[in-house]
Amino acid sequence: MDLKSYLNLFALLENPPTTHEENRAFGLSHQALKQKPVKALMAWEDSYVSTLPQPSLGERFSSYLYGTTLILGVLAFILGVLSGLALLSYSGHEPVNVIYFIAMVVFFPLLTMFLTLIAMMRTKRNRSLLVHISPAFWMEKIFSLLPNQTQKDIKELKINPLLLNWIMIKRSQILALLFSLGLFIALISIVVTKDIAFAWSTTLHITPEAFHAFLNTLALPWRELFPDAVPSIELIKHSQYFRLGDSLSKTMIDNASELGEWWKFLACATFFYAIFLRFLLFLLANFGLNRAIEKSTLTLPGATKLLREMNEPIIRTHANNEESVFVPSKENYEQLVHTLDASYDMVQGWAIGKENLVVLNDSMQIITPEFFEVGGSKSLEEDNEILAKSHGEVLFFVKGWEPPTMDFIDYIKELSLKVDKIIVVPVGTAKNNYKIDTSAVDVWDRKLSQLHEPKVWLKR
Amino acid sequence: MSNHTHSHPKFAVVGHPNKGKSSIVSALSMDDSVQISDTPGTTTKKRSFPLSVDGKIVYELFDTPGFQRARRVLAWLEAHEVSADKKQEVVQAFIDTHKEDERFRDEIELLEPIMNGAGIIYVVDASKPYGKEYEAEMEVLRWTGQPSMALINKIGESDYSKEWKKALEQYFKMVRTFNPMQVDKAQHISILESMAQLKEEWIAPVKSSIKLLESYYDQMIDKSAYLITRLVYESLTFVDKLKFNTEEASEEDRKKIEKNYKEKLRGFEKRTQEKIEHIWNHDHLEIEENILTFDGMDLFSEETASIFGLTRKEMMITGITSGAVTGAGIDLLFAGHTLLLGGAIGAVVGGVGAYFGFDELSEIKVLGQNLGKRFLQMGPMENRNFPYILLGRNLYYTSVISHKSHAKREMIHINMDSTFKDKWLDDDLKKSLEKYHKLFRSGKEVDAEALKAYEALIKETLKKLIDSQEK
Ligand SMILES: Nc1nc2c(ncn2[C@@H]2O[C@H](COP(=O)(O)OP(=O)(O)OP(=O)(O)O)[C@@H](O)[C@H]2O)c(=O)[nH]1
Ligand SMILES: [Mg+2]
Repeated sequence: MDLKSYLNLFALLENPPTTHEENRAFGLSHQALKQKPVKALMAWEDSYVSTLPQPSLGERFSSYLYGTTLILGVLAFILGVLSGLALLSYSGHEPVNVIYFIAMVVFFPLLTMFLTLIAMMRTKRNRSLLVHISPAFWMEKIFSLLPNQTQKDIKELKINPLLLNWIMIKRSQILALLFSLGLFIALISIVVTKDIAFAWSTTLHITPEAFHAFLNTLALPWRELFPDAVPSIELIKHSQYFRLGDSLSKTMIDNASELGEWWKFLACATFFYAIFLRFLLFLLANFGLNRAIEKSTLTLPGATKLLREMNEPIIRTHANNEESVFVPSKENYEQLVHTLDASYDMVQGWAIGKENLVVLNDSMQIITPEFFEVGGSKSLEEDNEILAKSHGEVLFFVKGWEPPTMDFIDYIKELSLKVDKIIVVPVGTAKNNYKIDTSAVDVWDRKLSQLHEPKVWLKR
Repeated sequence: MSNHTHSHPKFAVVGHPNKGKSSIVSALSMDDSVQISDTPGTTTKKRSFPLSVDGKIVYELFDTPGFQRARRVLAWLEAHEVSADKKQEVVQAFIDTHKEDERFRDEIELLEPIMNGAGIIYVVDASKPYGKEYEAEMEVLRWTGQPSMALINKIGESDYSKEWKKALEQYFKMVRTFNPMQVDKAQHISILESMAQLKEEWIAPVKSSIKLLESYYDQMIDKSAYLITRLVYESLTFVDKLKFNTEEASEEDRKKIEKNYKEKLRGFEKRTQEKIEHIWNHDHLEIEENILTFDGMDLFSEETASIFGLTRKEMMITGITSGAVTGAGIDLLFAGHTLLLGGAIGAVVGGVGAYFGFDELSEIKVLGQNLGKRFLQMGPMENRNFPYILLGRNLYYTSVISHKSHAKREMIHINMDSTFKDKWLDDDLKKSLEKYHKLFRSGKEVDAEALKAYEALIKETLKKLIDSQEK
């Protein structure tokens, strides 16, 4: 799990190349990763990274990051060497004051490492002051003023603050490490190429004994291993240096050969404080960055959805195909009857029994010589018999609440061949006193419109 | 002869035209794309609605057209009268003979799935009187020899269930009532249990279908809770910026950024609601608007705040504001502080917006950069009440959507009072939620765990809410 895959995952999730089904298939074939969401996301990223336009976002960003870090690193290293040389510059007249160097390789690293630790604890903050005062951040800012295509891409990319903070912290550690290496190399090369006299000097009233005790403490990590690399009390006494005029104290000149011995202590201090501890911090920053990447992976937009699609069975309940949209016909039947006559040649009821027809005729005050039930529970033969008898004007009752079926249409067609006029009368239920809703009549209206039969009329 | 019984259970929903077959299928399959209308003959083709898990079908439901010429079919069958064990073959012969016959298109469509082994679910409308004309179709169904049950639906107000039951019991071993317009999980499951009884071999697969359905409901609640979580998180953390070129930001600019900011938040909510509709399969309707509208009850209106929001007293009691005045004062201080930090990266504090009170959303900050580019900035949301309003509205939305039958096609208009709040929000929940709202407001990076924990709270609340509304 690195920054590159994180960014590629980000790019993939912006425009997912897979369907729900494919993701589920992926999940089923990677069952072992079900409980390891970050790994699962990474495996998925790995499978589909090739679908990204090349070079991928992750590649571009990491090469950009690598590039800037490399340049900054070289600068830091050179700066380290130069600072080392400056701190150790020895004219031959005056000894080199070790205090400066100790400050540079012990106190300055300790202080910045302490600040880094605090910064690490506050990486969740959107704007962390401690990150922003880091030179790594500022160098980046200066860099960003240079015109560059990648710059533009990167600016559009919204990396979350947590990651950005960790990236900066880690980079600061690399730069500090390289700077310290520069110092170390400067020290070693000066020691090798020159004969330097080291001394110590301070305005504060510090006795050589106190200074010895102090140095002894600083040397704690290595004094067992390299007892030589701890300045002895004599060396300290001999190399104390007071700025009194231009002359050097006599003790110093007497022990000039000893004064070079300081370098062992300085080398160990540089190695331990500026390099070793910094390296540990670098490892910590690296760990922190990886953790941050893992955490951020889970908050990437779309990550939760993707994981869900991988891990949850796809349950479908709906139809697989589309149904054509039903458009009700807007036609209106034109052959309408609004009032019924007093008598008809025949009355027929569609699935309405004879006893009901009597009641219907009564309630509508219709006089008719013959009335019959057709359709319903009658057989087709029975219908045919009645068809054979049919003639003249037929009043045709139908149950208005029931939908007109094709069975009904078939019969009406046959009937219209035999008779002069058919008046279809949709009626309501007995409970409703045979009154019927207009919406129900509309249904019959639309059905008859499809029939186009001039002999058929509808009572509305 | 085709009587395949080896595969998954199948059920064909059949009956007279316009009796609610499609409505029942729509409700049971949670598919709102099914064509439903009050014109008989809406459905013209059989249509399969499989319940599948990872592509494997567990059971299958068929919507079919209604009977149009049942008497004719029956006449044909009876003309080929044979012994009882051969009846199915006659039905198959009918289908084979009339494949090309336009007249029997609907009958063939509906008989085919049955002859392929589907159980019969015969639907009637008991708000209309029973009539003998139904006997022909029930008789035809009997000829198929497939296991069957009757489902009584009630489309209108009147009730003829008694006479219907009497008649149906002559033909069907099992008669059940079902209302496709009001289905909840319990009813959905109970109807499936009845269907399983049709055939011994179907009991186990239908049982596992029921399990699946339960997890499907769970998934939908899960996904909704996730969306609501994202909505609250994104709305609270959202920051809007507006560039201005004049020396001072004009009143107009301030109004404009406030308008933009609100518009964005409204957009977040609307999109979330659309996604929630999608999750609950309510997005096939060709209507522009979401199916549930808050009837012009804007997210930022007084009305919304009074229905969904906490009262000032409720906020004080749970310590959500540590005293209105000092609370605001401290916030103002803190805002200055963060801006100062911002100063370190090149911005200069130009001025701090008005003192915000209970009703304000977020102060408008002026950020000026050295190079003359100046911004007004609004957000993150500072109003303590807003997250509760947003949560209330969207929990409500989800619970209504989750109960809406897929057969019901009208928009839902809501009509509610502030008692809804009492249904989901108690003091404990308030305290737990507030912790996260505070985190979201802080501008700090919110990690996946915090979001997950918040989501869990929402999910639990939503589940309770949805369950409590089932009767
Ligand atoms: N109020 C109410 N209306 C219902 C109910 N069931 C169905 N409807 C309405 O009845 C009408 C017919 O419903 P559909 O589901 O299309 O009936 P269908 O049996 O599929 O009809 P066809 O496909 O034409 O054979 C529609 O307008 C539905 O809205 C119900 O339980 N209550
Ligand atoms: Mg239908």
